[in-house]
Amino acid sequence: MNPTSLVLLFVLACSGTSSETPPEKEPAKATEKAPDVKFDIKTLQENADQIALVPSPAEMEKALGKAGINQKLADMVTDRDISMDVDNKDQIAVRTGVVLADMILTVQASPKDKTIGRLKRLKEGFAKLEAGDDVQRTIDDLIERLNNDAVSKNDLLIELDELSGVVVPELEAEAGEWVVPVIQAGSWLEGAHLISGAIKDAGKYEAANSLLRQPAVVKYFLKYVQREGRNKAPDEVVRTLEETLTSLEVITAKEQLTAEDVTKIHSATGAVLTLL
Amino acid sequence: MRFLPLLALLGLPAQADEKEADTCLRTKIWAGYNDGWAVRTATSAKLGAGEHRIYLVTLYEGNEYKFLVCGDNNSSDLDLVIHNAEGRELARDESDDREPTVSYKPETTETYYVAVYAAQLSSGAAKTQAALAVTYR
Repeated sequence: MNPTSLVLLFVLACSGTSSETPPEKEPAKATEKAPDVKFDIKTLQENADQIALVPSPAEMEKALGKAGINQKLADMVTDRDISMDVDNKDQIAVRTGVVLADMILTVQASPKDKTIGRLKRLKEGFAKLEAGDDVQRTIDDLIERLNNDAVSKNDLLIELDELSGVVVPELEAEAGEWVVPVIQAGSWLEGAHLISGAIKDAGKYEAANSLLRQPAVVKYFLKYVQREGRNKAPDEVVRTLEETLTSLEVITAKEQLTAEDVTKIHSATGAVLTLL
Repeated sequence: MRFLPLLALLGLPAQADEKEADTCLRTKIWAGYNDGWAVRTATSAKLGAGEHRIYLVTLYEGNEYKFLVCGDNNSSDLDLVIHNAEGRELARDESDDREPTVSYKPETTETYYVAVYAAQLSSGAAKTQAALAVTYR
């Protein structure tokens, strides 16, 4: 390529005029293909990222129905306003997670004002956790469209699903990498409390093995709740959360869960939730 | 100012494009809602040729799962492989492209490993952005 052509190409490349046709994004000629890779258990265990480990509350409810228990979790969610007016950031993250779970589970049945109230609480929680501007803008947009009746309940559920599954895991957690797991812990605790309650109500304790045996999830939460550098004097909620997770780590690791185990899970998760 | 076309012409390594991979994935997620799929988590990673990212996931017995991956233009073949908690391979995508998909219906509620592997990058590409979504119904 001669120097004149190079200069011309540079000018064309940098001009950015509106009449310019965008370059086609055709795949360039590929490098040599690697053979099919095989992973051994050591590689899997040592390199696994846990960002996608925790099931969502809506996913838990879906599994509940597949297990033959058709109780709507929305009917079991306590009607309450969970304040974010606390100082401990762990507790704010737990509260934010619970509000997120309640909102997703009830959005189809809740009146508009109730959903807007929960969205405002979520926004408050994310702001106190310094979780970045993107999530604040997303919530503001949702509130505005709800106020203007510009979003259907079905679309709202999809957008909240995306907020929970896509936006939250990517939060700019200026407060630390513990923020997302502890928010997830709040949502999971609420989900596990409702699921264990539904199992008890239905008397289908055999379903507990497929719905509540998740020791890896509990261990993941404990790692962040017991992290180094946390507040040296955790408040009552965080202390109860740690006690609950410690007992759940043992219970959910059992080969078979009994009716007594389900009752213990329900009361241990409830012990945290009633403090909020 | 658009420098990327010139850099490509000069043979410099193309940069991984997070936006391209994320947009592709988001389009697939939204398309899935029409068929009753919902999203558990979406995340992304930057991979060089032959590099992988492994994710630990909890899957429920009874639910159906679909794992979606989108690579940017720097990848020509991404692989997606599902393993059980003991490391036994359960499923892998059969395609030779940058948007592999694997469907899986677990027989037991358990943790599973999902591996995303950059089998082949486009010529001149040093890294590719690979976005993964775990969806269920």
